[in-house]
Amino acid sequence: MKRFHLRNLFLLLAALITVAQAHAHVGNKDVFQTITAGPYKFFVTIRTPTVIPGVATIEVRSTGAPVTSLTITPLMLTGEASHHPPTPDALKPSAADPNFYTGSLWLMGSGSWQVRFGINGAAGPAAASVPVPAAPTVLLRMQRPLGILLGILGVILILGIVGIVTAAVGESRLAPGLRPDAPRRKHAALAGVLALAIVVFAVYWGGRWWNVEAAGYAADLYRSSDLRTSISGDTLNLRIGDPDPKSPGGWKPLKTANLLLDHNHVMHLYAIREPEMDAVFHLHPAPVGENDLRIALPAMPPGTYKLFADIVYHNGFPETEVATLIIPPGLPSVPLAPEDAAAAPAPLSHGELDLSYKLPDGFTMVFDRPSTITANTAYALRFRLLDSTGKPASDMQPYLGMPGHAAFVKSDFSTFAHTHPDGSAAMPAVMLADASTAASAPGATSNAAAMSGMAMPGMAMSAAPSEPVSSTVEFPYGFPSAGRYRIFIQMKHGSTIETGVFDVAVQ
Amino acid sequence: MSSTARPETGFAPIPISTASRVGARSATVPWYIWVGALAVTSASIGGAWDVSWHRSIGRDSFWTPAHMLIYACGVLAGVVGTWLVLNATFGHDEKLRAASVNILGLRAPLGVFLAGWGGVAMLTSAPFDNWWHNAYGLDEKIVSPPHTLLILGIRAISVGMMFLILAAMNRAADAGTSDFKSLQRLFLYLGGLAIGGQMFFLQEFTFDTGLHRSIAYISMGIGLPILFATISEASRFRWAATTTASIYMLFIIGEILILPLFPAQPKLGPVFFPVTHLVPAKFPVLLFVPALALDLFWQRARLWKPWQIAIVSGILFVAVLVAVEWPFANFLLSKASENRFFGTIYFDYGTPATDFDRLRRFFEPQYGIALVKGLGIASLCAMASTWVGLRFGHWMRGVQR
Repeated sequence: MKRFHLRNLFLLLAALITVAQAHAHVGNKDVFQTITAGPYKFFVTIRTPTVIPGVATIEVRSTGAPVTSLTITPLMLTGEASHHPPTPDALKPSAADPNFYTGSLWLMGSGSWQVRFGINGAAGPAAASVPVPAAPTVLLRMQRPLGILLGILGVILILGIVGIVTAAVGESRLAPGLRPDAPRRKHAALAGVLALAIVVFAVYWGGRWWNVEAAGYAADLYRSSDLRTSISGDTLNLRIGDPDPKSPGGWKPLKTANLLLDHNHVMHLYAIREPEMDAVFHLHPAPVGENDLRIALPAMPPGTYKLFADIVYHNGFPETEVATLIIPPGLPSVPLAPEDAAAAPAPLSHGELDLSYKLPDGFTMVFDRPSTITANTAYALRFRLLDSTGKPASDMQPYLGMPGHAAFVKSDFSTFAHTHPDGSAAMPAVMLADASTAASAPGATSNAAAMSGMAMPGMAMSAAPSEPVSSTVEFPYGFPSAGRYRIFIQMKHGSTIETGVFDVAVQ
Repeated sequence: MSSTARPETGFAPIPISTASRVGARSATVPWYIWVGALAVTSASIGGAWDVSWHRSIGRDSFWTPAHMLIYACGVLAGVVGTWLVLNATFGHDEKLRAASVNILGLRAPLGVFLAGWGGVAMLTSAPFDNWWHNAYGLDEKIVSPPHTLLILGIRAISVGMMFLILAAMNRAADAGTSDFKSLQRLFLYLGGLAIGGQMFFLQEFTFDTGLHRSIAYISMGIGLPILFATISEASRFRWAATTTASIYMLFIIGEILILPLFPAQPKLGPVFFPVTHLVPAKFPVLLFVPALALDLFWQRARLWKPWQIAIVSGILFVAVLVAVEWPFANFLLSKASENRFFGTIYFDYGTPATDFDRLRRFFEPQYGIALVKGLGIASLCAMASTWVGLRFGHWMRGVQR
């Protein structure tokens, strides 16, 4: 019995600790995504619930061809349930702004979902999907007024049972009109006391049952996996896994073959020096053997780094693993790999960085920052790369298949999001969603049919855009809470990967 | 006071039949008893419809027709209860006042207070269940603490209405009035719905894919003989168990034949099975066979002591139930049952193809020692259940108000 209680306590503590951890990225539960379906273009915000099953709210701004109606349908991203859509719900256009639509839908279970948009407009019907990871992250406590109300009703119910039993024994079997005599009344009172004892025991037992159910739910709360690190020579070794009593050492490492390639890499690793954010590295460890990922480290200023490691499971569920890494002085190093990037901005304590960030090769990256930025509001944040003469950079190249990569990190390292110009959804999940849409609605999207079937586990993806890469890039994103954030933007021209760094104060 | 004297035998003789058959005094069933029976019917249909709604459509609101039927039960019972409390406490109907009990200064027949308790329990379960769904998930289990409170509430209304009928029926039996037969029929009808309610509560244990596990028979051994014995004793009817078991079976078969006539599509994901019409309940357990065995045995054991009747009834109930349902479960999981009548073609939208239900395979079937041990426990449970039912049913026979 004692063991049982301790286990419950452990689960509840574990639940409370992990409440702040959201699935995709860290501390960023909402999805901000742009979608293109033929001539239609949308900026979509999906605010996922913290309790599952729960309601996701959806906001859509249409920026392409005119739309007459929009519908939303929740589906799993992969498997049998990705083939059977429930009946769609209509999104409601705003009375003030006919291009802005809102709606909501239930996400009934944890897992890798997609929200499918059915589009009708002048250019004919179309469909597109946005991947949405859903997991319960919060343990709801009962509000005091509700607790008091239920307590009062509970007392009425208990006293009601006592009254009914007393009346049943005392009077119910008397012929009509007779009054109970003294021995019968005593008998009835005793029966009432016995009933009270039984009901109190039943309530106690019900409370125990409730605790078991609550602990079961707490055990199902989402928590990201562990990221274990070790350094030997110039090599960083990484291993992802979860506690598992049946495995050796009580810990089961993840097989890297179960992860999807994201821009040809199993892992996108951001290492950011604590506490000043004055050194940042975007690295790509490669799988070695069944469970390990390895990378030969570039020259990193010694200190403590926070690691944010993005991976995507085979069902399209993205996850960011978090760990701390200490880089000792004098560590051997190798040159930065061609697809890796680094920057050394001024420390946070030196004040807010300029909106023009001077890059080492004389180029400049400019942040067209909105005049005010508020939390939980969706923005398309624009960045421009200028050459040494101040003109828009030419010879722009995709970096890891994208015009740009952005990392939004709160100054206390509590939230992290690695996003792209398409949005905050992980690229392999987007490809799964496109493939699923194409499979169920042939010809519905411009690129879905071409991508259909591409995003298979372990399969390389070449997501090089066919259009020339612009030197101006927009990232859809909403900051999850007020506070100071540092933004790391990566763009590529020629063979140079630039990392611009900016600060924002979110209200 | 004669009605309170407990005879030595398990089943008392039936003193009313001659009185009610020969020269019975004319009397009619009061309106509130009809309304009470209607209330329980409404909740039973509403409950079955609501479960089907969740299995076929998924998303509901406060205003679904199934919910309306369940609320109608509360409203009708509330009307009956309020009218009876007002008239018995403050009115001038001396006959009604005399046939009532007193709780905290309020007077009404005992059944009204039971039903009132059920109403408060249902009201309490609503905010509790709402919070539960928000905290731990939506309707993932039938048997959760707030659902248990809701089911207890509905059951209390049902039992309350049965007590309302019972008191009138017992008085009619003593007085030899002509309304006895109608009251007895109504009592048996509600008894049949109560068997259905019990099987509804046990459905997570008695799913067809679980019928080769002893837990199905243990749960039915606990939950059913108590009702059969209670209703049989209280109703004074020779075929009470068979009648109530048949009402349960007919109700479910009706559901299987009627619900799939109505188109319905899932409004929630994930959808694993494309549902096009309302999904009915699983085919009923063949309860009328063990119930018939119990009726036949009880008719022959009138002079036995309750504990003797309980021992034989427990073994008989489980033995006959297993003998009938075990092979029938094989049939239900075979191709032969895949038709509109046996209804094994219907699945929830949320049942994956890998689920035992979709695979039509038994879930962890038991054999050998484990099964024998389990069925032994089921028999012991059925004995205790019968004994409690006999005692309670006998006590109920004395209820006058």
